[in-house]
Amino acid sequence: MELFLMTITTGIMVGGIYALVALGWVLIYKCSGVLNLAMGEMTLIGAYVSLSFYSMGIPFLLALLFSLIIGLVLGILTERIFLDKLIGEPVLTVIMVTVGLSFFFKGMVELIWGTDTRVFTPPVFSIEPIHIGPVIVGQAYLWSFVAAIILLIIFVCFFKYTRWGLAMQATADDEMAALSIGVSARFVYAAAWAIAFMAAGVGGTLLGNINGLNISVGYLGLLVLPAVVLGGLNSVPGAIVGGITIGILQNLAGAYLDKYFPGGIKEIAPFAFMAIFLLFKPHGLWGWERIERV
Amino acid sequence: MSTTWLPCGIYHQNYAQDHAWWQTKFIKGKMILLFIILSVVIPLFADSYLLSVCNQVGYTILGALGVQLLIGFCGQITLGHAAFIAVGAYTSTLLILEFPWPQIMVDYGIAYPFSIIIAAVVAGIWSVLFGLPSARVKGFYLILTTMAAQFITVDFIITQYVSQIGGRGQAFSLPPGTIKVGPWVIDSDLKVYFMMLVLVIFCVIIMVNLLRSRVGRAWVAIRDNDISAEVMGINVVKYKLLAFFVAGFIGGIAGAFWISNLAAISPEHFPWFWSLWLVGVILIGGVGSIYGAIFGSIFMVVVMEVLQFAVMPLADIYPKLLMDFLFIKEAVFGLSICMFMMFEPNGLAYRWWQVKNYFNLWPFSY
Repeated sequence: MELFLMTITTGIMVGGIYALVALGWVLIYKCSGVLNLAMGEMTLIGAYVSLSFYSMGIPFLLALLFSLIIGLVLGILTERIFLDKLIGEPVLTVIMVTVGLSFFFKGMVELIWGTDTRVFTPPVFSIEPIHIGPVIVGQAYLWSFVAAIILLIIFVCFFKYTRWGLAMQATADDEMAALSIGVSARFVYAAAWAIAFMAAGVGGTLLGNINGLNISVGYLGLLVLPAVVLGGLNSVPGAIVGGITIGILQNLAGAYLDKYFPGGIKEIAPFAFMAIFLLFKPHGLWGWERIERV
Repeated sequence: MSTTWLPCGIYHQNYAQDHAWWQTKFIKGKMILLFIILSVVIPLFADSYLLSVCNQVGYTILGALGVQLLIGFCGQITLGHAAFIAVGAYTSTLLILEFPWPQIMVDYGIAYPFSIIIAAVVAGIWSVLFGLPSARVKGFYLILTTMAAQFITVDFIITQYVSQIGGRGQAFSLPPGTIKVGPWVIDSDLKVYFMMLVLVIFCVIIMVNLLRSRVGRAWVAIRDNDISAEVMGINVVKYKLLAFFVAGFIGGIAGAFWISNLAAISPEHFPWFWSLWLVGVILIGGVGSIYGAIFGSIFMVVVMEVLQFAVMPLADIYPKLLMDFLFIKEAVFGLSICMFMMFEPNGLAYRWWQVKNYFNLWPFSY
């Protein structure tokens, strides 16, 4: 029972980070209709940037802030250079451009930072675990979760209450109507990419704090795909619920199924679950069911 | 992209002519010339390096044909094709290593060709298994299921379980002399080249013939609009699964062929990167044409070789560059996909089509 509780808690904590990255993904999809497969590499870039700043001796929060700024710039640049020209192209074209981008980013990250595992030294969060009732949680997990939740709340407030956020919601809802009342769609696209890049960067930094940072963190970033599919592609609450579910599922699989299927079950379980889930609910939990006509 | 325009003064009078293999005598002559170049001139004059590049191209073509069928002709986007190639390769290897073939079959060299066929069928069935969700989902969700196919098959089943068979550790090495086709032991680049040639021609013929039959028309209808295809009385699920089967079949042939060129196979030969690479190949070559798969393969392999030549001299100055070549390759590949999508979305096959049309109607384009 204790193992079960602990697995669930860790799952929720990691899931919070996935939810943050998944939110960025859903945002891009909602606002500009781009299905982004470069999310994993975007987490990598953010993580490595903040790690570089941190190892220069800059305090962690400030390093995170710098990586946010660089994420903002890179997000806008990516949108302007690559995605802006592809508005209205077929889905496959856009997807493959993001795949190309993911290769490009990955190659660049490997060129600049190498492939060795790097850790945040000195550790940002103390390694002393915290006891919550019967459950023991690592501090890195706990603080990551807290940070992820705070950012999630900030993002949601941004969409609900600020002028820019409302413009983004309007574009996501009906692009034509938004254009006609004076919302600049190009601005919204750039903002969506910038926010996604920033969210991914924070997510990557937090993940890198937990396990050390190498290329495989990019794979963890890929886990947002099962998460968003679970929640439905265009649903923000769906992304959060999906992210946390995938976190729990992954840890449960790691704890209980590893005995029967030794090896990489922890990495595979979300994808296997997703494939089966899609057979029963092809549009996720809250995704829009598109009615097609000839 | 429709078929090429005919030269002035030549008209088709019945449908059989429209669907004929060789539309004019000139095309027939051209293809025979190409065949002679491929089967006589290249083996005679090419050195071992050029042949190995050709083999690489052939392997890429075999892999890309299946992807082209799924994406370009049936509209089912797949990002997990390397899984089916891996299934083919492992089935063939395991059959050669573990199956108790009758001695006479080994002596006459039937064992390996036979294992290719079985590998292709197994890979096809495996592909249908992961194509099953296509009955319910499409678009992005289907992409994710094919990605799941890649991770489940290669990273999990093959790495964790299949590699344990026989207790050989991660890599399965094939002893020299086990790969034998008829009286020939496949041990040099030249022999691999001829095998590649036969298999590529065989697969291209399968594809072309399927595409000009009822099956191919059904696939294209599903690609263009699956709802209207269903309205027209096409069994959408059946034809989608058939497309997955044929794609997996060709992928299996590709995998089973490639073991003849590798001394040992391991899961690292079939990473997710390779699946994406194949999709990139058909995008660069041109989606929706068999030329696309071929041109894309030639282009990508040649560009990577040229890149290697360009990097090598620099490596004397910066030794680190040699280690980083893999990363440069990745970055260049990613960037070239982006550039092609942005500036040349129809791919190389479209340019080829334009050139052919220009010369067919030359000098007067009316």
